[in-house]
Amino acid sequence: MTFVGLAVTFLGFVIALVSLGVTDSTTVRMGMVLVGIAVSLTGILGVITPAYQKTWIGKR
Amino acid sequence: MTKKIVLVFAMVSCLARAGALHAQAPATEAQPPATPAATAPTALPITAADLKAAVKPTDRANGDPDGSLTGTANDIAISDPAKGLTVTDVLNQIGANRIGVNFAWTLLCGFLIMFMQAGFAVVEAGLCRAKNANHTMMMNFMVYGVGMLAYFLIGFPLQMGGAGAIANLGGTPVLNSEFTIHLFGKDLGLFGNTGYLLMHHGTYDVAVMVVFLFQMVFMDTTTTIVTGTCCERWKYSAFMVSTMFLGAFTYPIFANWAWGGGWLAMLGANFGLGHGYADFAGSGVVHSVGGITALACALILGPRIGKYTRDGQPNAIPGHDIMWVLCGCFILAFGWFGFNPGSTLAMSGNGGLRAASVAVNTMLAGMTGSFGGILYMWIRYGKPDASMSGNAFLAGLVAITAPSGFVNPIASAVIGLVAGVLVCVSCEFVERVLKVDDPVGAISVHGSNGLWGVIATGLFADGKSNYGGSWNGVAGNVTGLFYGDAGQFVAQLMGVATLIGFVFVMSFVLNLFVDWFVGHRVSAKSELAGLDLPEMGAVAYPDFVLKPDVMGVA
Repeated sequence: MTFVGLAVTFLGFVIALVSLGVTDSTTVRMGMVLVGIAVSLTGILGVITPAYQKTWIGKR
Repeated sequence: MTKKIVLVFAMVSCLARAGALHAQAPATEAQPPATPAATAPTALPITAADLKAAVKPTDRANGDPDGSLTGTANDIAISDPAKGLTVTDVLNQIGANRIGVNFAWTLLCGFLIMFMQAGFAVVEAGLCRAKNANHTMMMNFMVYGVGMLAYFLIGFPLQMGGAGAIANLGGTPVLNSEFTIHLFGKDLGLFGNTGYLLMHHGTYDVAVMVVFLFQMVFMDTTTTIVTGTCCERWKYSAFMVSTMFLGAFTYPIFANWAWGGGWLAMLGANFGLGHGYADFAGSGVVHSVGGITALACALILGPRIGKYTRDGQPNAIPGHDIMWVLCGCFILAFGWFGFNPGSTLAMSGNGGLRAASVAVNTMLAGMTGSFGGILYMWIRYGKPDASMSGNAFLAGLVAITAPSGFVNPIASAVIGLVAGVLVCVSCEFVERVLKVDDPVGAISVHGSNGLWGVIATGLFADGKSNYGGSWNGVAGNVTGLFYGDAGQFVAQLMGVATLIGFVFVMSFVLNLFVDWFVGHRVSAKSELAGLDLPEMGAVAYPDFVLKPDVMGVA
């Protein structure tokens, strides 16, 4: 799950980056960057962190 | 007295004739002839009579108690004694003075920032248990050397090798090699490629030395953030390797993108997003990178033994010396006056005097940050928690670091107040929801509030700052969303997306390698005993009797 989480997190960055190439609209870019941030946060908080919680909590 | 006035007038007139304020001309080169403007006053040459009016060395035979005889035309270096004092000599002296002032300011601010290492050391040591104090202090001690070595060998060229000329420091034309890729029709800078060992490609240069010192202490601040989050369970060897990676790669890469002419800085010039990613002194570059790396390391390391019960409820593990914690916060706040105002890189020219505004903004945000944190804790828990008060103070300073050069005092106060509350909420979230063990709260102080500082720049920048008429190659002043530039806000969000989506992944992967090859975590036996003896070979307080539960034997 760690690597899935890392991939999702990086995908968020890619979405934000691609916004530079697909449109000149500031509003659309803002929307895409916000989506990218949300995806990255999902990767960190929703995938990687729970995976590591299972690793540590209750075992220490 | 009249003769002195005449001499000064003659010098000023000569300046006007030569085109005035070619202050950055190299000291050894003659100024090109300039055509006087139609409205310029009649130029007057420096005559022998003017020089006769100057103070003579014999005039100081009886000393100079009021200073009026010291620092005169006699102190201007003459390039050719046969010609005597020339206009070129005067102009070169003015240029040297301007750059000298800027060098002195930047270096002194760098020294202040270096002293922040002491602040971080005592804050982190105070917030850990006595049995780990030596280990925590030693991490903070060696982070300076390890980080600097990595930065000297690899980091600085990657970060600043393509930064180009820095006018306020007399120009650094040798930092001119940036590796780029062509994407979306533009050249996007990824990393610099000159300045290795401060000798490569002509970088044995006084201005480059100033840049290196100032940027090095910024980098070291980033590396020391991680030691706080990972204290009390981090293997010392793993800490050293991890810090090398941070100082050599993670920090310099993002810093290049933001400050070294990389693609984030060029978002304005290339894609019309405001003035590109604007981070005046490093809320994102320094603090978010440190806080996000701390999160990655903390996830891999796991919580300390006893931090969480088997059903996941957090236990409080108080630090051993709250006095050191709060003293350290003041040391850090003192150093922050190097961090933020020093980032003008000038006291003379191109926005140098704006340092006064930056300093006041820094003070205000620290104040409102501590107020916000104290009030939040008082209302929520009935007491103004000391350690959270200190963290809220630092949170305000972290949050104002990026916007400090672009916002007004009222915005600074608001940014700090939000940061003071945010750090308390974030600490609770990290501890109770994420169940990530952060003994000093660095993820919240530096990570969360670093991101808030980046966003706040895109909101509150008022367009009144002027650093030479442009920023990141875009004419005009940085202006945020609330003052009409939505593009600047998008550029800031792009920085946030990069920090979360790229820097976190890079930090995590590098530290996974460290975990595989070195192993991040000490043994449970060492952790219970305290890391001072197993890892360092000596305890911090040999004359003190520690409580059994503190020693981990209860």
